[in-house]
Amino acid sequence: MQYCNHCKVKVKGAHSICPLCSGILEGKGDYKEDVFPFIPTIYQEFNLFIRVLVLISIIAVVASFSVNIIFTKESRWSLLVAAGIACMWISLFFIIRKKNNIGKTILWQVGIISILSVIWDKSMGFIGWSIDYVIPAVCVLAMIVMAIGAKILKIGVRDLIVYLLIDAVFGFIPLIFIIFGWLKVIYPSVICVAASIISLSALILFEGDNMKNELKKRMHI
Amino acid sequence: MTAKKPVEWSKLDNAAKIFPPTSNEKDTKVFRFVCELKDEIDPDILQEALDKTMPLFPFYKTVLRRGFFWYYFENTDLTPKVSEEYKLPCSRLYYPNRRNLLFEVTYYKNRINLEVFHALTDGTGALAFLKTLLYFYITVRYKDDFKKGLPVLDYDASLTQKMDDSFLKHYTSNRIPKKVKITKAYRIQGRRYMDNRIKVIEGVMPVKDVLNLAHKYDTTLTVYLTALFIKAIYEEMPARSRKYPVILSVPVNLRTYFPSVTARNFFATINVSYNFSTLGDSLDDIINEVKECFKRELTQEKLQEHMNKLSALEHNAFMRMVPLAIKDIVLKFANWLNDRQITATLSNIGKITVSPQLAPYIKMFNCFTSAKRPQIALCSFGDNLVISFSSPFSGTDIQKNFFRFLTLENVPVVISTNIREL
Repeated sequence: MQYCNHCKVKVKGAHSICPLCSGILEGKGDYKEDVFPFIPTIYQEFNLFIRVLVLISIIAVVASFSVNIIFTKESRWSLLVAAGIACMWISLFFIIRKKNNIGKTILWQVGIISILSVIWDKSMGFIGWSIDYVIPAVCVLAMIVMAIGAKILKIGVRDLIVYLLIDAVFGFIPLIFIIFGWLKVIYPSVICVAASIISLSALILFEGDNMKNELKKRMHI
Repeated sequence: MTAKKPVEWSKLDNAAKIFPPTSNEKDTKVFRFVCELKDEIDPDILQEALDKTMPLFPFYKTVLRRGFFWYYFENTDLTPKVSEEYKLPCSRLYYPNRRNLLFEVTYYKNRINLEVFHALTDGTGALAFLKTLLYFYITVRYKDDFKKGLPVLDYDASLTQKMDDSFLKHYTSNRIPKKVKITKAYRIQGRRYMDNRIKVIEGVMPVKDVLNLAHKYDTTLTVYLTALFIKAIYEEMPARSRKYPVILSVPVNLRTYFPSVTARNFFATINVSYNFSTLGDSLDDIINEVKECFKRELTQEKLQEHMNKLSALEHNAFMRMVPLAIKDIVLKFANWLNDRQITATLSNIGKITVSPQLAPYIKMFNCFTSAKRPQIALCSFGDNLVISFSSPFSGTDIQKNFFRFLTLENVPVVISTNIREL
C-alpha cells in the first residue's frame, strides 16, 4: 500500500499521485490491490454512417441551390430537393429514436409518411395522389409487415397487438375519403378498408383476451 | 398463436415514478452495492446463487416499459447472467424502448457488485437482495463448513410483502402541507469527465474511532459526518457564493418509521440546510444546526406529510389523465427545479448485519450511487466504516478536505478509487 504524507491516508492500488491531493505518494503501488478494473476513456462518437449521410444531404442541397441560381433563375426546383431531403430526415429521425421497438417504428412511419405526403400533394396543387394511393398503401403495407415480421423475427404477436390495432383503426380513415367522394381512384382505399376489417376481426377473434389485457396494461391510469 | 397466458405487470411505486424520465447518460440513477469477501469470487457459484435468488425476488425479473399514461414493469423471460465487471461503475441500465433487466450482478477479484436502477428498488431493498445472494453464494462455496446445518436467512418477508407498494399503504390524503418556498442552494461546479464517468473514492476506517469522535461532540455518527461534509464543502466555496445555503439532501428509509418489509422503493428525502452568511463556520456550530434539523425533520408526522405531498400529486385525477409524453416533460422540469435546491447528497445505509455464521467470510460492504453532484454514501459492517464519495467532477478538493478532517483526528483511513490519474 502507498501512503500520502499530506493527507495521512493509505492508498490501495498503484497510483502515481495521491487520489485526494495529487501529491507525492510514498511506497510502492501494487496493481493487485485495485478494487476496480481499469476502463479506458470511452469516446462517444456519432455514427459514421449518419455523419456521411448528413454531409451528402448538405452537398445535395447546396449544389442544387447553386445550380438553380446559376442556370435556371426562373424556376425554383431546388426548393423541392431541399424539402425532399428534409422529409427523409424527419422520417429517419423517428426510425432512429424508436429503433428498439419495431411496432412503434412502423406505426410512426405510417403516420409520418401519410402526413408528409398530404403536405407534398397540397403544396403541388392537390392532384390527390396522397389520399388516392399513399395513405391506403402504407396502411396495408404496415399491416402485412407487422404480421409477417412477428412471425419471422419471432416477436410475440402480443407485443405487436396494440400497434396492429391502431394501424387497423387507422386503416378506416380511407372510408371517410370514399364517403365524401374525395377520391379519383377508389380501389386502393377499398382494399385498405377491407384489409382493416379482416385484420381487426382476426385480432379480436384470436387475440381478444390478449388484446384486452394489453390495452388494460398500456392504458392504466 | 402465442402463449395464452397473460403477461404479469405492475405499476411503479410513488418514488420510482421520477426515475425513468430523468435518467440519462449524465445521471443514470443507478446505484451499486458491493460486498467484498475474503476470497476471490467463483463466477460459476455466483451464477448458481443468483439463479437461486431470483425466485425469491420475482419482482426483479421485469423490464420497464412505457404505457400511454404511465410507465409499468412487465415480467420477462430474461435471466440475469453474472459477468466480470466490464464497464464503468453505475453505467446506464435503463434505456427507453429497450427491454433489459434493471439490475446487474458483476464480480471483480474479491468483490460482488450489485447494480440496480433506482426505479426498481431503494438501498434497503437492494441490500435484502444482495444478502440473499450472499447467503446462497457462501453456503455453496464453503459447503464443507456448513455440514452441521445451514444458517438462517435473516430477511423474512412473504412474496406479497416484498412486492408491496408501501407508499400506497401508508398514504393518507389528509394533512397536505402548504407550498414551500424554493430556496436556491449553492451549486458545486467542476470539470466533468469526457465519458461522464463518475469518480468513486472510498475510504475504509474503523467505525469505533469515528464513533468516539462523534461522541466527543455529543452527537451521532450521521450528524457528525453530515456536519463534516458541510464543512468540507464550505472550505471550497467561493466567497461570493456564501449567500446561498449549503443544502444536503438526505434520503431516509421509511421502513424504520412505518411498518413495511417491502423490497421496492420506500424512502423519502429530507433537506439539511446550512447558511454560512448567517451562521458560524466552526464545526460545533454546524453540528448543532444539523442536530436540530434532524430532530425537526425526522418525525413520523413530518415524513407522513412529505409522503402525502408526493402521493397527492400521483393521485391527482388531472395528473393521471395526462399522456406520458407530457408527464415526462413535467417530471423533468420538477427534477430540474429540485436539483437547484440541493448542493450535495448524503445517504447513510447504516449498520449492515448478516447472520453470524456468514459474517466470517465477508470483509466489508460498500455502496455508492451515480452522481450529478458530489455524493456520499456510508455504511458499516463489523469494525469497518466505509465512506464512498461519488462525484461527476474530476476535482477532489471536497473529498480531500473531508478525509483530512478525519485523519487529523488520527483516524486511520485507507483510500481506493476507480480512476487512475496517468
